[in-house]
Parts: sequence; C-alpha cells; structure tokens
Amino acid sequence: MNSDGGGASEEDRPRDDEILAFHHAIRAADAEKLEFVGDKEPLSVLAAEYEAGNPVFRAKVEKLGQTYVAIRRARGDGNCFFRSFMFSYLEHILETRDETEVKRIQKNIEQSKKALIELGYQEFTFEDFLSIFVEQLDSVLPGRESSVDIDQLVEKCRDRYISDYVVMFFRFVTSAEIRKRAEFFEPFILGLSNMNVQQFCKTSVEPMGEESDHVHITALSDALGVPVRVVYLDRSVGADGKNTDVNHHDFLPPDCPTVEMPPVVLLYRPGHYDILYTREVQNLAPVPRVEEPQDLPELKGLQEAKETPVKSIQDANSTQEAIAA
Amino acid sequence: MSTPSRKRLMRDFKRLQQDPPAGISGAPQDNNIMLWNAVIFGPDDTPWDGGTFKLTLQFTEDYPNKPPTVRFVSKMFHPNIYADGSICLDILQNQWSPIYDVAAILTSIQSLLCDPNPNSPANSEAARMYSENRREYNRRVREIVEQSWTAE
Repeated sequence: MNSDGGGASEEDRPRDDEILAFHHAIRAADAEKLEFVGDKEPLSVLAAEYEAGNPVFRAKVEKLGQTYVAIRRARGDGNCFFRSFMFSYLEHILETRDETEVKRIQKNIEQSKKALIELGYQEFTFEDFLSIFVEQLDSVLPGRESSVDIDQLVEKCRDRYISDYVVMFFRFVTSAEIRKRAEFFEPFILGLSNMNVQQFCKTSVEPMGEESDHVHITALSDALGVPVRVVYLDRSVGADGKNTDVNHHDFLPPDCPTVEMPPVVLLYRPGHYDILYTREVQNLAPVPRVEEPQDLPELKGLQEAKETPVKSIQDANSTQEAIAA
Repeated sequence: MSTPSRKRLMRDFKRLQQDPPAGISGAPQDNNIMLWNAVIFGPDDTPWDGGTFKLTLQFTEDYPNKPPTVRFVSKMFHPNIYADGSICLDILQNQWSPIYDVAAILTSIQSLLCDPNPNSPANSEAARMYSENRREYNRRVREIVEQSWTAE
C-alpha cells in the first residue's frame, strides 16, 4: 500500500490548527466576497497566492502548471465539492455536446431515485431537487429551448436557488449510495468518525454546509457514474524529503468507460475544493484503464475495498475531523 | 402566489393527511400555509402518556432548505425545551436537511419527549432532575400533562 512518491507521513502534513486556521480564513473570506463559482482564472493566480509562502507549495504550484492551465474557485462554504462538481460536469457537457453521456447519467439518476424510495425517503422531499438538476442537464445540450451558453451557465450556477437545490440533490444521491452500500462504506466511515453509516449520512452528508471527503466523492462518482480527478495541493513531500510531485487520485466508478482525463477535475487544498482546467483539449478516445502509481495510498484503499488502512489514512482522518469540527 | 416552498408545504400537508404518523397531527392555518398548528400526543406508557401538547411551526420561503421555527405553545417541562417553548433539537438547527418533512419533524420532537439529550440542556432544572431525581422529574412531567388538558 505504501508508495515511494506519494505517501504523506505525519510530519509532512500541516498541523491541525494550521488547517483549521486556513479553513476558517477561506470560509470567512469566501463567504463574503466569492460567488458560488468564480471566474476562470489563469493558474498564475495560484502562484501569486503562494509567492511568499511555503517553498513546497511554490514548487508544487509550478509543477501543476505542466498539466493544468486554469482554475475556477468555488465558495468555501462547506458545499464547495458539490458546487465544483456541478459546474465542472455541466461545463463538460456544454463543451462536448455529449447527448449520449446525458442519457447515461439520466439512467443513473433514475437508479438513485429508486434507491432513495427503497430506502424509505418520501419522493416529494427530493423530487424538486432532482428536477432542478435535470433541467440544468437539458440546458447544456444544444438546440433546446432552454439551451445556455457558458456565460448563462455561470450565471445559473451563481443563482442561490439553482445552486443550493443541485447541491442538495447531490447530497441525496450521495447519502442513498452510502446507505445502499453500507457494508462497503462502513470501514471508511469508521475511520473518519465514531459514527455508524446512518449517523454519518444524517450528520455529515444530508445537511447543507457539511464538508466532503473521499467517502462523499466516491459515493457521488459511483452513483452518477462520473469519473472525478482530485489533485492534491498540500505540503507533503516524497519519502526522500524532496519530491514535490503533485499527487492526484482518479475516482473511477465501476463499469465506466475508461478515460484519459476525467470530466471533473478538482484541486484540493486542505479543507477546500476548486475546479481545475487541463492544458490539452480533452482526448475523448477511451484508453485502457491502469492503476496509476502516483495514486495516494490512502485513497487507493477505498477502491480496493477493505485493505488495511495505512497510518496516513488515520492522519488524514483526524485532519478531516478537525476541519469538520 | 405559489413558490417552491409553498408548493412543498402543500405536499407536506397532503402526506400528513394521507399517512399520519401515530400520535401527531398538524395543519396550516386557514389563510397562511407558512404558519402551522400542530399537536403532539404524549407517547403511551411513559410519564407523558395522555398529554396533548400544542406547537406552532413558522416556515420561510427558504423552506425546505432551511428548517421552520418550531415552538411549544403548551407549557413544557423538559431538558431540551426552553421556557419560551423553543426546542433544542439537532435537526431543527445545524443538522437540518430537506429530507425532513413536517411529519418527520413532529415525529422527531415526539421521540425527544421520552428521550432527552442531557448534553444540550435548555432547561437546567429539568436536566438536573432528569439525571438526579427521576421520580420527582416524572412527577413534574405528570403535572405538565394535566395542565395540557385545561390550558387554552
């Protein structure tokens, strides 16, 4: 499970209070001045942000520029993963005009709806949220009465009603997936908190503003069948103490066609997600799926079901708890 | 005017009429769907047995993204209910989620009656008595039950 390049040991991680301070700072600042999703900005804005900062961050930001060219920030209000996912996915459809993909995700939405009903959710409590997302899906395809361009999509994703309703729909879907596969998710949830699956869904998934971590991302990605890449920007360095390669993890839903670059690419900094843009126009041709050696060991375990958690997952978990506190 | 919150409240009401959970009832006031009256009956075989406790639920246009303000109108004696009737319950505060409809809110409050959370006391006398002198606590609850029959 341990890798040479990507492992984050205890001393590599920022202290919990540093993370908390960072977290509170971005939450307070973002909630005041940032839209739910910001404008697309060149990656150089990140470099500027860390100009006087930690050298590991600076080195990593520079390396990030080899693969990614732009960033779009999300408001740090605890819903940033879901808002980033929403925009990134809808923008992907808008660009690719991929009707087949929309038909595919609609089938998954139907599956989630069935799961929710089977789990005892009242349909009327989630149908409004579901239909708002389906409306957005329809609007990013060309030739519809409601078709939007990129500026209109940005506008819609900044609308509180639309954005909050889609976030809530994703929370329903995430919760249903976790509850449906409780046995699979249980060990990871136990690693994150002292809660059982039911309590976790009730307190950490279903309420607005509750932060997301790899459990939420896995569940949403699997439920909707949408691959997600998360690129990690933190202060961890390789085992040699020097390696500043930027780690990423691809969340690949079972049975999904293999992709070179997932449609949703997010930048994770402790406690926060933003949207990343790649350098190349995406290559849509499927390529064989390979396990990537640079995967973070703690996240790889999630895909391989119940592997013994390595020490770093516990560190990551205490970090997450500190963030959620 | 029909807004998302009003439309949703109509469905909450429909469910409450068609499939009412045991021991609770509720309905919007005649001319205002945003303000509901409700009654919770004390669960059988508990000190609360026989009580009929009145509440109001005030909704905003943010419902169901934000919870309603729920308050007991009947006088209460309970570790998690303030003197003004407001209720200290996680799903009505930071653990709110739109998955809860009016029926679920009232059912949760009903189970709170017999299952107080001593960690977040709203009435410190009731909280202390609940943990230190259960006999006296139950006697005070019975008083509240009797008052609920006569109070208007």
